[in-house]
Amino acid sequence: MLKIIVCMKQVPMVSELPWDARTGTLKRELADGMMNPACKHALEAALQLKHGIGAQITAITMGPPAAREILHEAIAMGADRGVLLSDPRMAGADTYVTSDTLARAIGRVCPDFDLVMCGCHTTDSETAQVGPQLSETLDIPGAAYVEHLEIDGRTLRMQREADDFLETLEMDLPGLVTVTTRAYTPRYVAMSGLQDAFGEVDIETLGCEDLGLDPHAAGMKASPTRILDVYSAVAQKENLVLKGSPKKVVDELFERFGDRIGGAMGKDLTPHDHPLERGRKKDA
Amino acid sequence: MDFNPCLKHKLVRKSVREFAEAEIAPLVYDLDREARFPWEIIEKMRPLNFFGLQIPRAYGGAGIDTISYAVAIEELSRVSAALGLCVTVHNSVGAYPIVRFGTDAQKKRFLPALASGERIGAFCLTEANAGSDAGGVETFAQQEGDSYVINGTKIFVTNGGVCGTALVFAVTHPEDPRRRAGVFIVEKDTPGFSVGEIEDLCGMRANPVSSLFFEDCRVPGTHLLGRSGDGIKIGLAALDTGRIGIAAQALGIAQAAFEASVRYAKERQQFGKPIAAFQTIQNYLADMATEIDAGRLLLYRACARKDAGKPFGPEAAKAKLYCSRLSTRVADQAVQIHGGYGYSKEYDVERYYRDAKVTEIYEGTSEVQRMVISRAVLSQPA
Repeated sequence: MLKIIVCMKQVPMVSELPWDARTGTLKRELADGMMNPACKHALEAALQLKHGIGAQITAITMGPPAAREILHEAIAMGADRGVLLSDPRMAGADTYVTSDTLARAIGRVCPDFDLVMCGCHTTDSETAQVGPQLSETLDIPGAAYVEHLEIDGRTLRMQREADDFLETLEMDLPGLVTVTTRAYTPRYVAMSGLQDAFGEVDIETLGCEDLGLDPHAAGMKASPTRILDVYSAVAQKENLVLKGSPKKVVDELFERFGDRIGGAMGKDLTPHDHPLERGRKKDA
Repeated sequence: MDFNPCLKHKLVRKSVREFAEAEIAPLVYDLDREARFPWEIIEKMRPLNFFGLQIPRAYGGAGIDTISYAVAIEELSRVSAALGLCVTVHNSVGAYPIVRFGTDAQKKRFLPALASGERIGAFCLTEANAGSDAGGVETFAQQEGDSYVINGTKIFVTNGGVCGTALVFAVTHPEDPRRRAGVFIVEKDTPGFSVGEIEDLCGMRANPVSSLFFEDCRVPGTHLLGRSGDGIKIGLAALDTGRIGIAAQALGIAQAAFEASVRYAKERQQFGKPIAAFQTIQNYLADMATEIDAGRLLLYRACARKDAGKPFGPEAAKAKLYCSRLSTRVADQAVQIHGGYGYSKEYDVERYYRDAKVTEIYEGTSEVQRMVISRAVLSQPA
């Protein structure tokens, strides 16, 4: 039976989270976590393969103990088991170290995998790097931003949208794909699934020692990425009230915003387009 | 008692909220205005086990615990109280009595269609002259050989217009006050069963509450739930569990009204600042938040007792009394915070205001809850 690994990440529900304007960071202590949307789409793609041709799905995540929640959710949706990589020494890993840690975990829990599936990016950091890096670390072919996939024997056929065209690719298994949020709309979780996901479920928690991972090769310490600055984009908004006669106001409006109005309309505005000017010419 | 929400209940809340906000919320305004029952949403709810929440797995249900059940009803009702009502009545008083008192044959025959939502359940107790006084029921079930012939009219039946299976409370032993009534499982295609006009109600307008008529409606003796004369016992047990659902529903309405109030108070500017900056509004919001929290804890205690197999009647009555009262208070306060807009159909809070009131009336009025609670209080040794 096909063995699929789905890598997933718990991310904060950013839409509900206030930013700390002073530090430019998310107030994570107020955060409720959720399964990263693209990871959920990857899981849905895996579930559709499972229901189509049969597969065993292992969901893997790295994160704090609270990240266990998304493994229960994955099992409630139909995954067969979950693996939580949780160790304080793994904290703060960049994408490079994360990929390395995930590769070790896959080697430990499911070395004979056929397909690794990831979300194309996460909503908290948006790097889109872990999937491609993981395929390199595992030394298997990888394809990013996949929107449709089917399996024929040991061949994975997939489509992805690239710029203005649709690309069809084939890959020999084992391989890795990252899935976009365009297709594979995730199913809703059924109540019976939730009940099962908290029954006798197979969720394994692994730390550095379990993976044979030198703690110095894990987490922030081993991560080559350095974040120099994080800041919130500040919206520059001001209310402007134009006063005076209609002609004066319209003149000023065009002078200040003519380019942008023209841009929105998709044409270069000339003085002829000035509504008052136009009216005047007609009258003349 | 663990005051941290368990991971499972957190995930139940998220999952139901995700479904309700995506699939139900866009239609809620129109459903209320048009008083329309949304079969298209029901179809989407069926595979998610909303109609078999506490029905055992063996019969196609989800078999979830009672706190999960309450959380699911709260979240549905937070978006649509009328759909929350449909689901809780179906599960608690429509299906639960069969789970608890049905024979194996009855469970096999009736539960799968209820669990899948193929048939929507209803519970028929109230009549023109009987409601809080269940002893006043006049619908009669005459035994004739192996069957019963039911005659009578039930009113204000939640899900009445769409039910496929109704549990009907009818007199079987008029001379015996203790064993006066029985509960019968009646399917909608039974000759003599018919649905009256849909009620034009103040709130819960998407739920087709109606009268049901039984005219020489003959059902086999195998459709009698429990024993003949067990009606009061079954009815009271059904209502105990039904009260958990209505408390959860009331809480959902209050939560929605509260969230709308917080949003509006932060946005609405008066005297050059958001009205949330005024202490009066802060006090309103603080009281609303406190009451909702208190109600939720009362409710979860009743649920936990039910799951532990302990008596939970008075606890369910306290939760229902408190949650329904807080729901009308919070909805009232929400309208007040919204001012003129709150009185307009443009904003959801006027619907919350209309929907909340009936939670103090059905599944036992607040006065009946106090009766249940005071009986428990006074029966304790001094």
